[in-house]
Amino acid sequence: MKTFLMTTAAALMASTTFAQSITVGAANVSDYLDPGRDHSNVGSQFYYNAFDTLIDRDHSKLEPEWVPALATEWAMVDDTTMEFKLREGVTFHNGEAMTADDVVFSLNRMYQASFAPYQVRAKDRLANFAEAVKIDDYTVQIKVHRAEPLWETLVSLQQVMIIPEEYTKALSGDPLVAEDGDYEAFSLAPVGTGPYAISEFTPGQKVVYTRFDDFWGDLAPLEQATVIRIPETASRITALKTGEADIVTNIAPDQLALINADANLKTEGSATALFHVMIMNVNHPNLTDPKIRQAMSYAIDRDLLNEALWLGKAVVPSTHTMEEMGALHMPELTTFEYDPEMARKLLAESAYDGEEIVFDAFPVYYTNGVLAAQAIIEMWAEVGINGKLNVTDKWTGNDPEMMARSWSNPMYFADPFGSFGVMWAPDGPSEGAGRFNTDDAYAEAWERFRFSKDVDARRAAYGELMERIKQDPPVLPLYRPFESWGMNKSINWKPQSGHIPYVLDFRAGAIALADS
Amino acid sequence: MTLYILRTLVKMVVTLFVIVTLVFFATRLSGSPLDTFLGEGLTPEDREAMIRYFGLEGSIWQQYVSYLRGLLEGNFGLSFLERRPVAQIVAERIGPSLQLLGSSLVLTICVAVPLGVIAALNRSSWVGSAVMALAFVGYAVPNFVIATFMVLLFAFTLNWLPVVGNGTALHFIMPTIAMSGVLIAALTRFTRNAMLDVLGQDFMRTARAKGLPETVVILKHGLRNAGVTVLSVLGLQIAGMAAAGNVVVEAIFSWPGIGELLVKAAIVRDYPVLQFGVITVSCAVVVINAVTDILYAVADPRIRMAKG
Repeated sequence: MKTFLMTTAAALMASTTFAQSITVGAANVSDYLDPGRDHSNVGSQFYYNAFDTLIDRDHSKLEPEWVPALATEWAMVDDTTMEFKLREGVTFHNGEAMTADDVVFSLNRMYQASFAPYQVRAKDRLANFAEAVKIDDYTVQIKVHRAEPLWETLVSLQQVMIIPEEYTKALSGDPLVAEDGDYEAFSLAPVGTGPYAISEFTPGQKVVYTRFDDFWGDLAPLEQATVIRIPETASRITALKTGEADIVTNIAPDQLALINADANLKTEGSATALFHVMIMNVNHPNLTDPKIRQAMSYAIDRDLLNEALWLGKAVVPSTHTMEEMGALHMPELTTFEYDPEMARKLLAESAYDGEEIVFDAFPVYYTNGVLAAQAIIEMWAEVGINGKLNVTDKWTGNDPEMMARSWSNPMYFADPFGSFGVMWAPDGPSEGAGRFNTDDAYAEAWERFRFSKDVDARRAAYGELMERIKQDPPVLPLYRPFESWGMNKSINWKPQSGHIPYVLDFRAGAIALADS
Repeated sequence: MTLYILRTLVKMVVTLFVIVTLVFFATRLSGSPLDTFLGEGLTPEDREAMIRYFGLEGSIWQQYVSYLRGLLEGNFGLSFLERRPVAQIVAERIGPSLQLLGSSLVLTICVAVPLGVIAALNRSSWVGSAVMALAFVGYAVPNFVIATFMVLLFAFTLNWLPVVGNGTALHFIMPTIAMSGVLIAALTRFTRNAMLDVLGQDFMRTARAKGLPETVVILKHGLRNAGVTVLSVLGLQIAGMAAAGNVVVEAIFSWPGIGELLVKAAIVRDYPVLQFGVITVSCAVVVINAVTDILYAVADPRIRMAKG
């Protein structure tokens, strides 16, 4: 019996290890694949293998170094217009040639969005982009409303990856008109220009990438990569051991030793470009006094949370900044710190008289989220704050009754605008939800931060914004969680610092198999 | 008999209508999809746009009426997450669940019926006690404990069996055993009790008196009569398991079945998937019950006489 089982199991595994094919066991697989409407952590895993932007960056480097992708050259025409020369001979996975029409269609579906899911994404990061215009078959101009300091960054976003116009429009209804149904159908049968075509997609379950031989750049190193959903951590690790998966995602720090103890397996990890944060409702009647919220922040020993929950592998920030942000990385600012004495002092000076402060946390959404919340309640108690944990799967971030809760601020692109900026802009999601207020002075500093041409002026303005956050805090970034992947030792892959979080990059140079 | 079948069918339709209504309101009372992480970070205008996109504008009554109308037209709606017809999504998932249910059923009958008969025949010896003790333990140990133990032994340590999905026959071994544990335990007890009832009956003595071999007496006269009881119990057990029992097993073995789909749909309040999934499972339960009722009546004339 044993021999039979071993032979069959070996036969099963053969299909995954020979012929430069791998299987990835992922905690979650997207329910739809459309780079435009998606900005989830689950989704960001899947787009880079199959889609391109006009401009790309060298993802092995932390500092942005822009490289040509579907555009070979780009230059400013005037203050608000940039012209792009498109690469010739680019083919979509369905065989259509890429031209300026596809680029204009892809960009304007976001810049001038009519489809609700696109509108939401366009407003928070692409609001300054007016339109894309075709000049000739291989020349496109993009126009912005106001002079844009972040051109390359915002042209290399996942949301403005290029998709085929004719194919998409023909997916439903009138083949010459872009309808909502076309975009919905596209997200189940996605087509791009990347080095892998998505040859099979079962929503929520499975994505199969197949090498695309007509790719315009370096050919993909793998013939096939299959991502399957394995929701349970223990099952993912077991699948790695049995050889059913070659790479597995989302391994918590306390599981790393188990994988590393196996001579055939290893782990790779990085502090994800995303903050787990605590948000506080500045408009809750019991929390309107900023001193109470400052005390809630000063009471939390984030280094201790890091040691206890992340084995010290997470990164605790001094302000809302990340090293990926290049010139705008400002670790010298001290916006957030642990100071229990200060917390007690502020509480004594404040109007606080022991009212219960409820902290809402999702049950499983954030790794270690509930544990961190429990520890925070204890830390609050140390300084005299009467905290209560409320574990709920409801998003209470726009409930006026919400006092404090867990949330995350991902880095959607490598600039403070792509992290703090998306979440805490005037009239942005936090203010819109009624738990954060801005005034003219904040908006004026925001404008300088967002649109100044001069980097120093942007830095100075960001410093002012951070000082406002410090004095009247609506948020405390806890840490950048440490995210790990387990894999077979024959695989040479690791997350690259130039990507947004969670990208599974299997392009040339990003992955190699030792036995191939 | 026709009247009996008609009554059963009417009861079935009424039950399903009640279930549809309960599910519709229960899912909506539990919160909107925009109250889950799908609503994270949306401004009020964004929320309005998404509510229209999901087709959730209008009063709950208007939505209920249009949902019922859709059901009658065979239109069950689009998933909020996947934006494709829920009937298609559920159809994809129900197959693997039924396969697992089927294999568990076969294993259960093959193991439980002989064990139950053995326990009944040896009720006063240690063999009978041992079988019943085993059944008791089997009933008490939850399926995820059995599953985790098997994964640890046969996959993690020995590397004999695969743990992910339903690709080959080997993939069925562990999930089937995990699913069957409780069923085997329950059915063994019922078979034993039913056999004990039958063994004391007059017709058994008559069969023996006729000089029939003991095997024929037990199997033909004993088991066949005990089978009526066993059948109805089995119907209920399967129905229960189809409804809920396999969620955990499906998660552990990444089985692409309907239990896992429903859990995810519940978390994000994907109403159309949740409604159609629960309705499908309820249909299965109601149909299985109705079929069991009818079979029971066919097998036992006393029932159809009594129920008219």
